[in-house]
Amino acid sequence: MNRIYDFLQTEGVDGGLLRAVRDFWEKYPTPAGSAARVPDPEYYYYGNKTWELALAAILAGKNLLLAGPKATGKNVLCENLGALFGRPVWNVSFHINTDASYLIGTDTFDGQRVSFRPGPIWLCAAQGGFGILDEVNMAKNEALAVLHAALDFRRSLDVPGYEKTDLRPETRFIATMNYGYAGTRDLNEALTSRFAVLDMPPITEENLQKLISRRYPGINEKLRDQFVKLYSELQRKAESAEISDAALDLRGLLDALALMEQGLRSGDALEMCIVNKSFDAFERGLIRDVIAARIPADLTGDMVFAP
Amino acid sequence: MIKKQYTGSARRARNIIWNAAGRYDFDLPFMAFFPNGKPDNYFNMAAGLVQKWLDMPRLWDFFASYENDRRADEFDDLLWLGLENCVYEKELEERPILRQLRRARGEEFFREQQQLSRQQMEYQSMTVYTQQEYRWARACGRKAPLLSPREKRMAAALEFSGSLDTSGVLAAMEGFLRSFFRWQGPAESVPLRPAGALAKALLRHEHKRRDRLLVRCGTGEGDHDKARAQRHSGLGRFVGPTAEDEAYIRAVFGRCSLSEGERRILENELCVGRDQFCRLWVTRGEPTETDDRDALEVRESAARQRARNEAYFAGHSALIDHSVRALSTRLETVLSSYFRHLPEPSRSGRLRSEVAYRLPVLNDTRIFLRSGEETEQPLCVDLLLDASQSRMNSQEVLSAESYILAESLRKLHIPVRVSAFRSLRGFLVLEQLKDWSQSDCKGLLRYYAGGWNRDGLAVETLGRLNDSPVLQGRRRLLLVLTDASPNDSTPMAGEGLGLHREYEGQAAVTAAQEAVRALRASGVGVGAVFHGNTHNLPNAQQIYGHAYVRIQKAGQLSQGVSDLMLMLMRENVPLR
Repeated sequence: MNRIYDFLQTEGVDGGLLRAVRDFWEKYPTPAGSAARVPDPEYYYYGNKTWELALAAILAGKNLLLAGPKATGKNVLCENLGALFGRPVWNVSFHINTDASYLIGTDTFDGQRVSFRPGPIWLCAAQGGFGILDEVNMAKNEALAVLHAALDFRRSLDVPGYEKTDLRPETRFIATMNYGYAGTRDLNEALTSRFAVLDMPPITEENLQKLISRRYPGINEKLRDQFVKLYSELQRKAESAEISDAALDLRGLLDALALMEQGLRSGDALEMCIVNKSFDAFERGLIRDVIAARIPADLTGDMVFAP
Repeated sequence: MIKKQYTGSARRARNIIWNAAGRYDFDLPFMAFFPNGKPDNYFNMAAGLVQKWLDMPRLWDFFASYENDRRADEFDDLLWLGLENCVYEKELEERPILRQLRRARGEEFFREQQQLSRQQMEYQSMTVYTQQEYRWARACGRKAPLLSPREKRMAAALEFSGSLDTSGVLAAMEGFLRSFFRWQGPAESVPLRPAGALAKALLRHEHKRRDRLLVRCGTGEGDHDKARAQRHSGLGRFVGPTAEDEAYIRAVFGRCSLSEGERRILENELCVGRDQFCRLWVTRGEPTETDDRDALEVRESAARQRARNEAYFAGHSALIDHSVRALSTRLETVLSSYFRHLPEPSRSGRLRSEVAYRLPVLNDTRIFLRSGEETEQPLCVDLLLDASQSRMNSQEVLSAESYILAESLRKLHIPVRVSAFRSLRGFLVLEQLKDWSQSDCKGLLRYYAGGWNRDGLAVETLGRLNDSPVLQGRRRLLLVLTDASPNDSTPMAGEGLGLHREYEGQAAVTAAQEAVRALRASGVGVGAVFHGNTHNLPNAQQIYGHAYVRIQKAGQLSQGVSDLMLMLMRENVPLR
């Protein structure tokens, strides 16, 4: 039984879906030699509703598009899904110059002859893995057209000059896209229609409490709640466009707690892991004001991690 | 029409208030500053907590009820001490750090008092000072000053309990004023001395720096919603601009650069429906002779503003040059990565079958093609600046920012045209500050603000000015520098026999949204650089969809504008 399965049971995720996950394991065991590609997540995604929607989509054979602003746990959920289903994962970070050869593969000369060097999507399709298309909206839509046949009912990849490759039935693609109110864009309809789209909600205070408590079981509960509220306040400030989302960094908050555990004072730890994520002096001032209104700067590890 | 412009300190103060309130969707009736101009973080937090725990509009009505009383400032300071105690008690459990912050505020109070000059001390109200000293001495564990029995009663009355709701707080506030100041309610307020009101308005800023803790916001014309309503008069009797108006527009802005025929064709197309009372005036600012005293005054004012723009430009030349370099570098990266890279031979990539023989025969492995470094950039950019009076407090900054934008694009050999728009006396005036062919961007220093802004018609008009050969074969982008608050004195014509409506609020935003949508449908990428206040953000969203960036200072320009251009180049952004 895998750890994340136990976690979902404890959280109370729908039993029927979890039974279907077990059936999936029996039908599609992890391929031999791919264990190193199956993720072992450090953090778990909290949010039963989102879990249930994602599981239903994956079990129904659909590809999943996780859309939402920064720090909503898109990548954590991707990794968690790979780990839960026991599938090898290929994580492809998209950028403006992503093109077909980067995704599918390219011709190369191996010293003897011209041969095909497979790309991550081809490998994922051939080995029945989960392909994570990270920040899929960073690439130009025309570059993604090569994926259309792989993502829709045809479930195949056709590389000119080579054999057509059908996707293994357990192959899934999980795309993530970040949207804010500025500076990002939407995917075109042709691509979006090939995914079930999951709108990722911001983490709730309750779930953030659970996340922190799981990672730092010895944390003082009252102080933990103050850290959670601090994160919510930064979130609200970023949503209102008073600060950029540079400082809205969940990993940063958890890292700050790690530094406090190591003995750093709260002021210094938060400065390093949250305030300094912004490179704008005025914005750093605004972030410091929010922190100063919640967390004393002289908390030591002993105080934070005292029960 | 004039919106509040926040300085850095004020922006910090309002952020503290919003943060404590847990909301960002309200305007601030009060902000707190120390005599040295620094925001008073603790008291701003208290102001935010008042918003969180109590019904602020009702309290604001109460504060407004004595605003013409000459003791108003004194009342404000005392009552805020009461409110501070109330919200402190309410919030303490939720925010334990408050105790520590209150103590620190007390220490800060005594530090500040030591630094006040004798003159500043003289400006202070002794009643307020005594009560503050007593409050903060107790908060930070100092020995409390000796109080007279009346002062003691006053201090006790100012400890509004945390268990009070809004009605209870209002009763406590009213009771306090009645008991200690014989205040009889709004009708009995002691009026300001003659000319006192004017002096108070003029000196408001000085108060902020001198002796007041809490500063009432909303002192400029147009700060209040009512101000705008007062400016809109004569609704329903509108007949459109007269020949006299046209002569005035010509005298102020220079002759129209379109021929009479061209202008009539444009007006027949665009000045219909809701814009039927409007006329168009496209100008390059070529002056005409005039003896109209009003027009000459405006020209002098524009010349003074130009001098100020130039002084600002000279004083910040290093920063401006740096910004131009930063933006052009960033844009170059964005453009070169976006536009198609011309292919070049390589050792892997797409096989070129026509030269494949070179591999076995010549042992040449460079028989593949990959994306090379060279790119094509078929692009041109229109910049449209809102030059209405709402931009009055930031003319120098806007002039410099538009210069940075235009100069950065010019450096990349992207043709750019810059126009400013405003509406006045029924005319939509589109002033071209830089044409496609001009290589010098210094014309942008002519920018000055005045009049109203009819955004929808401005966008439509600029969209039709598309006959330049520069545009042939190029993708056209339009960037609008705006506060997303369209507002014009010329009403929108009603349909059929319907009544005319003001060009303001939601109706004006919808008009602008439709104009942007129509221009996008014709293949022009339209985006906005938003400079306005938070409460106009929804307008920007409605008009431009996701295609806008919010810029609060020049440092954000390169990141914001390059992101925006990338978004516009990728595709026509659909409206939400």
